[in-house]
Amino acid sequence: MIQLHNVSLAYQQDASALNNINLKIGKGEFVFLTGPSGAGKTTLLRLLYCALTPTRGQVVIDSQNVSRLPQSQIPYLRRSIGVVFQDFKLLQSRTVFENVAITLEVLGWGRADIGKKTMHVLKQMGIESKYNLVPQRLSGGEQQRVALARALVNDPKILLADEPTGNLDDANKNQILSIFKEANVRGTTVVVATHDRRLIYNAHKRLVTLNKGEIVEQMEKEADNIDSIL
Amino acid sequence: MNRWKKKQTTSIQSFKRPTLAGDGFQGKIAYFLSRAVTNIRQNVFVNVVTIGTITLALLIVSLFLLVFVNLENAAESWSERVQVTVYFDKELTAPEQSAFRSKIQAVPGTAHVTYVSRTEAMKRFKERLRGQETLLEGVRAEVLPSSLEISLKRSNRDTQAVSEYVTSLKRIPGISEVQYGEEWVRRFNAFLNFMRLLGGLLGGFLVVAVVFIVSNTIKLTIYARRDELEVMSLVGATRLFIKVPFLLEGILQGCAGSVLAVAMLYGLYEGFLHNAGSFLTFNPASSGLAFLPIEYCAGLLAAGTLLGFIGSLTSLKRYINS
Repeated sequence: MIQLHNVSLAYQQDASALNNINLKIGKGEFVFLTGPSGAGKTTLLRLLYCALTPTRGQVVIDSQNVSRLPQSQIPYLRRSIGVVFQDFKLLQSRTVFENVAITLEVLGWGRADIGKKTMHVLKQMGIESKYNLVPQRLSGGEQQRVALARALVNDPKILLADEPTGNLDDANKNQILSIFKEANVRGTTVVVATHDRRLIYNAHKRLVTLNKGEIVEQMEKEADNIDSIL
Repeated sequence: MNRWKKKQTTSIQSFKRPTLAGDGFQGKIAYFLSRAVTNIRQNVFVNVVTIGTITLALLIVSLFLLVFVNLENAAESWSERVQVTVYFDKELTAPEQSAFRSKIQAVPGTAHVTYVSRTEAMKRFKERLRGQETLLEGVRAEVLPSSLEISLKRSNRDTQAVSEYVTSLKRIPGISEVQYGEEWVRRFNAFLNFMRLLGGLLGGFLVVAVVFIVSNTIKLTIYARRDELEVMSLVGATRLFIKVPFLLEGILQGCAGSVLAVAMLYGLYEGFLHNAGSFLTFNPASSGLAFLPIEYCAGLLAAGTLLGFIGSLTSLKRYINS
C-alpha cells in the first residue's frame, strides 16, 4: 500500500529532514512511527499525503508513484487518504456535522446521502448528539473524534495520524486507539506518528523508529524487547 | 465499487455508493452557489467588512465621477460659445444670404449659420446696454455691420481647428472680416486640457488606491480562512472546487458593494447634490448637478463585480499555490 525507496528530503540544501528512507507498509497494516522531536515523523507523514515531494527517491502510494503524479491528480489520491492532526484542524465557523460532511461534499455526494453517512460516522464516534455544535464548544477528546470522523467518513484506504493523542487524557487516548483499531479491522491501513509510549505499548503493533531523519529500528508487533525501545 | 461490496461483509453498516449531486454543470453551479451563500452566512463579520470597504471605495470613485461628469457637461456647454462671426459692411439680400450660407456650410466643421441683420444687431446692442439707453441716442442701425454667426461642430472647437477653419472661411470670395475671440478660445481650451489632465491623474490615483485597498481587504479575509483552504485541500478537493465558492463570494461581495455605493450616491444626490447648482454649477441655464448617466452606473456595477472577482482570484492563487 505504501512504499518508500531511498527517499531523502531536504528543506534547505545543507539540512536534510529525511535521509535515505526505505519503508514498506502492506495493505491493512497498522504501523507506529516514533522517535524524538525533529526525528522526521511529521515530514514522513507529509510526504505520504503529498504535501511534500521528496528531493530524492520514490514514494509509491496505492500503486501510484507520487513523484511522477501530475499536480492535478494529487486531490484524487488524497481522497483515499484520511489525515488526523494533533491540533485537529477543524473549521471553527462550521458545526460538527459540517466539519465531517465536507469530505463527502468534495466527492460530490448528494445531500441525503451525506446526511445519512455523516450521522452514522458521528454515532460510531459517540458524538452524534453534538452534531449541531461548533468545535469550540467541545472538549479536546470530542474535537479529536470529530477530526477522526472527518478522516474516516469516506472509508479511506489509508489513515494517517500525526500525534493524535498529544493533547488528550488517558481515557480519551484509549478511545482514540480503539477507533484506529476498528478502522484497521475494516481494512484501512493505519500509520500513526507519535512519541506517546503508552499508546504504542497498549496497541501491540508494528513500530518504526526514526532519529535525525533516518530509520534506526523497525520492530514487528509484540516484539520481546519493546520495553527497551520505549 | 469493489471496495464497497467488500465492506458490506464486515460488521459495520455500510452504504451504497450514492449518486453524485455535483454531477453535471447545473448540479455543480447549484452546489457552488449554495456553498458561497453559506460561507457568507457563516462569516458575517468578515463579509460585512469586505462589502463595507468596497462600498466606501466605490462611493469615493462615484462621487469623483459625478463631479467630473458635471464639469465635462459644463465645459461642453461653454464650448458652444466658440463662435466665428463674418462681418459685412452692407445688408445682404436673401439670395446673397443663401449663397454665403451654402458656401459656409460646405466648409468642414460648420454646425449652424445664422444671419444677423443690422436691425437685429441694433436690437441686441440695445439689450446689452439696458438702463443706459441714452448712450445710443442718435445711433442708427445702419452704422452697425450685418453678420453671419457660425457655430462649430464639437470636434472643431479647439484653438488649432478654429484657426484652420477661419483660414478656409477667408478663401470664400466676399468674406474678408472674420472674428472669433482668439484669446478666449485659447484660454478656454488650455483650461479644458488642464481640467482633463487633473481629472485623469486624480481618477487614476483613486482607482489604483481603490484596487489596492479592496484587494488587500479580500486578501485578509481569505487569509483569515486559510484553514478552510487547507482542510479542503487535505480531504481531496481539486483547486477548482476550492476556488469557485470563494470566487463566487468575491463576485457577490463586489456586486453588493457596488450596488450599495450607487444607492448611497443616489441618496446623497437626492439629499444634497441635485440642487447644489447655486454654488457648484457654472452654467446658469442648467439647474443643479446631473446624476451619473446609466452607463456610468452600469460601469460601476461591473467594476465592483470585477474587483471582487480579481481580488479573490489573486489572493487564492497565493494561498492555494503555497
